[in-house]
Amino acid sequence: MSVVMYREPQLENPEMLCSWPGIGNIGLIAVDTLRGQLKARELGQIEPWDYFEPHKVFIQKGMLEELWFPRSRFFYHERGEKDLLFFTGEEQPGGREKVYAYGEKAYRMAENVVEVARKHGCRRIYTSGACVSMTHHQVKPRVVAVTSSEKLNRELKRYPNLVTMSELGEGGGEGVITGMNGLMLAVAKKKGLEAVCLMGEIPDWLARVPFPYTKASKSVLEVFGSIFGLDTRPGLLDRQSAEVDRVIESFYEKFPEEVKEIYDQRKTEAKPVPISEKEAEWMKENLDEFLKSLTDEQEKGDDNGDRPI
Amino acid sequence: MVTDRSDDLFHIFKEQPLQSSSLIVCWKSSDLGRIASQVVNYMIESLGGEEVAELKPAGFFTFEGAIFRDDIIQVPDSRFWACPEAGVLLFNSEEPTLNNYKFLNSILDYGERHCGIKELYTINAAPSLVSHNTPREILAVFNQVELLERFEEEELEPMTWEGPPATSSYLLWVAARRGLSGISLWPEIPFYLAAHEDPLAVKKTLSFLGRRLQLDLDLEELDEQAKCQQQQLSQLQEENEQAGALLQRLEDGDTLDEEEQMLLNREVYLKLEKES
Repeated sequence: MSVVMYREPQLENPEMLCSWPGIGNIGLIAVDTLRGQLKARELGQIEPWDYFEPHKVFIQKGMLEELWFPRSRFFYHERGEKDLLFFTGEEQPGGREKVYAYGEKAYRMAENVVEVARKHGCRRIYTSGACVSMTHHQVKPRVVAVTSSEKLNRELKRYPNLVTMSELGEGGGEGVITGMNGLMLAVAKKKGLEAVCLMGEIPDWLARVPFPYTKASKSVLEVFGSIFGLDTRPGLLDRQSAEVDRVIESFYEKFPEEVKEIYDQRKTEAKPVPISEKEAEWMKENLDEFLKSLTDEQEKGDDNGDRPI
Repeated sequence: MVTDRSDDLFHIFKEQPLQSSSLIVCWKSSDLGRIASQVVNYMIESLGGEEVAELKPAGFFTFEGAIFRDDIIQVPDSRFWACPEAGVLLFNSEEPTLNNYKFLNSILDYGERHCGIKELYTINAAPSLVSHNTPREILAVFNQVELLERFEEEELEPMTWEGPPATSSYLLWVAARRGLSGISLWPEIPFYLAAHEDPLAVKKTLSFLGRRLQLDLDLEELDEQAKCQQQQLSQLQEENEQAGALLQRLEDGDTLDEEEQMLLNREVYLKLEKES
């Protein structure tokens, strides 16, 4: 099980930003967008075969050309001060039947990432994911922070559009950050590093949708911009958000009046009322059908078989 | 019984049974047309194969209870058989469900350390929309260009594919990383024989391996089995108008839709099961 590094840059006081796929891919898109904008250079990777099964084989005229595994890659960006390290994982380790990481492999991967951070002199690690909350999809998503210390919480509160989990007022300030985006914080803290998770808000009923919730990624990206004093350009995210918004709005229009009335209170109420059981049931049933219609449409265009060779 | 203390992954029944050999790998768990199991059993019997080692299942299979099939408890079993005079090492196993990379490397570790393997073959099957009267072809995947070039003139049909990898493809890739040349053999079988047997495809595969590895294999028994199966399918064509028409269409080179395939699958299965 190994980490392969392609180069050894001398980084100045770096901080690391990590992310894996998760709900709405909020964190992954935010971190990856920033990495792309900064044109961060590839630094290395965690070899995949001990963590993942291959997804795809490429056989051309009898020759086995390539086996494709999910990648777990490190990047870096030198700025002269507070350089940046990035880590992005294309899949969470732990088994393909589970979306989120679990078990020994997940812990070992987190340890590998933290070790690379420490080796380069990192004192702080950021992860980013989703915060499922009683927000409204037409409201700008806030960024919710959970950190490894009170001091960090105080430091982060000065950034615009950022709240701590207890300020959000849901779950009594308690909860679980599932998967690698959470586990990384625990491992980082255990190894003596500062750990921050920045989570973009997503409305509860959209937590199961299979498309990216880029609106929340944009909020996270803005917070990263403030923290690191970077001029982030959300142009691409804006375009993707518009496309996703169109799909979300088309389902929102189908809401019965009574559901819409209660849900819309979320736009103005400081303490939103949860939707009732009956309305939640309506949403679950109809959303499933709506998502199925989207998936069916997608599958029509996919003529790849799934028989393994 | 000696345990390999270096990694404790194997039960070694016999030390250094081979000096230089070819490894043939068969998977019991995706044995369409029973090609793999028949090939391995035929070789063990014909070449006097003996059990030489077991790759222990712990860590490679999910033991969440006992699986039973036809009222019998099934236990994952991964075993090496050596045919010393033929210079062949056989590996017959279920496909692992955990730590596949380690499992596949362990197969090659044993083969290289204990039996000096120089090349690898995996036996699979490719169900196709072809008639049982069509001569069988072997589709093939290679892991080294030199090997592909060497077999261009042979009766192997190079495959092109992009999609989920089978365990054999993964093994071929692992072998390539270790510098071990390998070929995955995918004999074509009529799709409606996938749940039963295809002696013609077994014969085709054994014929290829026999020539390639210079083995003296008596394949007469397979001719008998194939003849018997041909008769049963001819009977089906006569007795069952619908199935007969579908078989005729395949013979004429037509394709069948999903529903027709399911129907033919069922009728052939019932006929062959009844006869057996």
